[in-house]
Amino acid sequence: MNVQSLLRSTVLGTSLLALVAGTAMAQTPAATLLSKVTPVTDDMLKNPPDGDWLLWRRTYNGWGYSPLDQINKDNVKNLQLAWSWGLTPGGTTQETPLVHDGVVYVQNSTHLIQALNGATGELLWQYQYRLPDGVQPNGLRSKAIYGDNLIVATRDAHILAINAKTGKLVWDQQVADVKKGWGYSSGPLVANGVIVQGMTGCGNAQPGGCFFTGHDPKTGKEMWRINTIARGDTPEGNSWNGIPTEARYGGSAWIAGSYDPDQNIVFAGVGQPYPWPAVINGLLPKNPDAKYTNNALYTDSTLAIDPTSGKLKWHHQYLQNDTLDLDYVYERLIIDLPVNGQTRKTVVTAGKLGIVEAIDRVNGEWLWAKETVPQNVVSAIDPKTGAKTINPAVIPQIGQTTFNCPADPGGRAWQATSYSPKTRMLYMPTVEFCSNTVLNPLDQGQVYTGGGLATYNRVPMPNGDGNIGQVRAVKLDDRTDAWMYRQHAPVTTSTLPTGGGLVFVGTLDRKLLAFDDTTGKLLWTSPTFTNSIESFPITYSAGGKQYVAVVTNWSSGLGRLKLITPEIALPAHNPHEVYVFALPN
Amino acid sequence: MHFSISFLRVGILALTTAILALLPATASAQQEPEFYNDQPYAYGEWNIGRRTNPSEFRYCVDQRDPSWELDNEVADAIAHGLLLQPVKYIVPSEMVVEDLTKVYAILLEHCDVFMGFKLIPAGYPGWLTVTRAYNDVGYVFVTLRPGINALSDLPPGRPIAATAGTTAHVRLASYNLTLTPQKRWPVFPYGGDQLSLESVLRKDADIAIVWAPSFREIQQQNPEYAGFRIIASTPLPPTSLGVGALLLKQNTFFRAGIDDAIKALIADGTIPAIVNKHKIPAAGKR
Repeated sequence: MNVQSLLRSTVLGTSLLALVAGTAMAQTPAATLLSKVTPVTDDMLKNPPDGDWLLWRRTYNGWGYSPLDQINKDNVKNLQLAWSWGLTPGGTTQETPLVHDGVVYVQNSTHLIQALNGATGELLWQYQYRLPDGVQPNGLRSKAIYGDNLIVATRDAHILAINAKTGKLVWDQQVADVKKGWGYSSGPLVANGVIVQGMTGCGNAQPGGCFFTGHDPKTGKEMWRINTIARGDTPEGNSWNGIPTEARYGGSAWIAGSYDPDQNIVFAGVGQPYPWPAVINGLLPKNPDAKYTNNALYTDSTLAIDPTSGKLKWHHQYLQNDTLDLDYVYERLIIDLPVNGQTRKTVVTAGKLGIVEAIDRVNGEWLWAKETVPQNVVSAIDPKTGAKTINPAVIPQIGQTTFNCPADPGGRAWQATSYSPKTRMLYMPTVEFCSNTVLNPLDQGQVYTGGGLATYNRVPMPNGDGNIGQVRAVKLDDRTDAWMYRQHAPVTTSTLPTGGGLVFVGTLDRKLLAFDDTTGKLLWTSPTFTNSIESFPITYSAGGKQYVAVVTNWSSGLGRLKLITPEIALPAHNPHEVYVFALPN
Repeated sequence: MHFSISFLRVGILALTTAILALLPATASAQQEPEFYNDQPYAYGEWNIGRRTNPSEFRYCVDQRDPSWELDNEVADAIAHGLLLQPVKYIVPSEMVVEDLTKVYAILLEHCDVFMGFKLIPAGYPGWLTVTRAYNDVGYVFVTLRPGINALSDLPPGRPIAATAGTTAHVRLASYNLTLTPQKRWPVFPYGGDQLSLESVLRKDADIAIVWAPSFREIQQQNPEYAGFRIIASTPLPPTSLGVGALLLKQNTFFRAGIDDAIKALIADGTIPAIVNKHKIPAAGKR
């Protein structure tokens, strides 16, 4: 008698069959949902369904804007918690969930990757990637989805493809050796069928700087690699003050870029030289040989990369010889804007200084700059080239304390700026603070070191109003200020503008806020969460209903401003959760 | 106050004056390293219990540190001095470089005392406490070039390799800035002692400045480094640092006992004998 016959012939069997059938019925909605997940195509990435969030900033242009309008200015006050999901606590998750066909994909700091039902929060599958011993579990800011696979980068410098329906590993590509310091903190961008991934962790251990790589999405195989630190006997290669390539560090590519399909160009940012102080990293004092400059290309630049060939088409450097850790590495917004009476194809970005700048995305020509947060680092900007004059008083010197505004977390940090085509406004989360900066030898242990060799003692802005956090809205057509919201607690998430005329943003004091996108009026404040929010809020639809999702966490970015907001208490073990809001049925 | 480019153009002098007036108070009140308030995180730390056996001296050493065997012997001597049972944990990591915050998890989980850290003034965050020095170790200036017996023999314009951000590197960089541009040496920063020495082998630099224990280890293990000579640091004074051990700040009371033990073991010759046995090169000859 086989098992099936036995089961049929017994009462117990009858009961078991009923139980099995019940289980199968319970799994049916999940299985059905996953069975309906469609492959993500190039056309879909170029023009995503309104209800999906397929890329880090939702669309190739990097706007971070959703056209969904079910939740709007009139009804946002009725938002309620729809569901929540606990993530592994600890680490520095800076999560951007992706959503496709009603499935929400999240990455825990431990590299536990999960698929959740976007309408209910039900777990659909999970995949645990095992980090090697000694690699601190931390999350990544972004991931990608392409074809049938979720594309995930890891803290130990691997790229993974995981089947989006099943959670099964498809391929695992090691790109660099984590033992030498390399690793990823952001995920890839898939452009014209190529996975484009930037490397970070190119500080003390690994000479020659970081790089971008291009990978085959079918296999993960590396197709090309370009260095973020210029080399060779060229004007770019000779921009490192005459120091050899092996003594050049930094140029981390730690934020995913944007993509212009019309030109087949990825625009991506590069961070600063390392260690930070120029008197230590060799960029000062200036080499007297006129052959050399000390601009340190391609740090603090936009690179225009052909994703098919990996060729660097052009670059624009925003900040030469950055000696204060002022990364110009963040999101690149692809926007067509009026400039001097003409419509120009632009790329808009801002580094930690909070100076918004536009360049021509066809040829890299600098177009304009717009200051936002108070700063004392740049004393002048050339109106034709964008070249900056640095206030000499802020350059860190051995044996001196210098004073700079802002400091290392930045007047804006990796929390992304967004753009709404409805209002033609840029929405930027900013913070105002300063720092007493000291250059330190920090080789405490022969292996253990203290970072960038400068310490930033963060202090409130002199004569400030005590409002450290802001949301700023700037009309990009004429670069005038539209509105500004100010509060004491730092604003610590990216902004999320929607078709419903709202801008969502999160704060260090554990709240998600919603503003009128035109006036800046605060329309809704969430209940207080379990933790601060340093992540990227998104919105999506599932089953015809709009949801707003955000991951709560304390991270190492603007969370460092806790020092000047000691009254904001946060839980000890850094809980992480996904909170999802919707209107009542 | 809104600092801005236009503001700076008209008021930079006033601003600087105002800032300078602020500095003494703020700098002295908040003179912390950048990670001072960045609470380190040990994964699953709520599962790590507190120590219950007070008869043990739990210490960590790291084999990536070329002085780890010396540190190990000193730790055993301290344990004996305190009448405690030494319990050793050798950190197994193979990472080339770690952030100092990593020691938080190691101290929480594996040991109370982490041996082998340089006593850099103001170089530690508030969640750590540091013992007194049990050793004094220096940086050495080394070269392959004949005829160079001191830093001062190196012609201006010839490059020097330095392991980036060390006390010796900072001191050289500071001195270099006091010279006229024509009399300076280019100083190339490298991420580690091995990389600094390799640059001299490649002839990218003429002199390397490295941690003396690293130099000894690399030279002993690699025949191609046999030709390196230690030279005088003149005109700079030799650079050396005390070496001690780290504890979490909640173990400050324990640290006081360790300090007493180190003091006694130096006085009775125990620690000097261990140091002499390991023959680490002197910081620099005049």
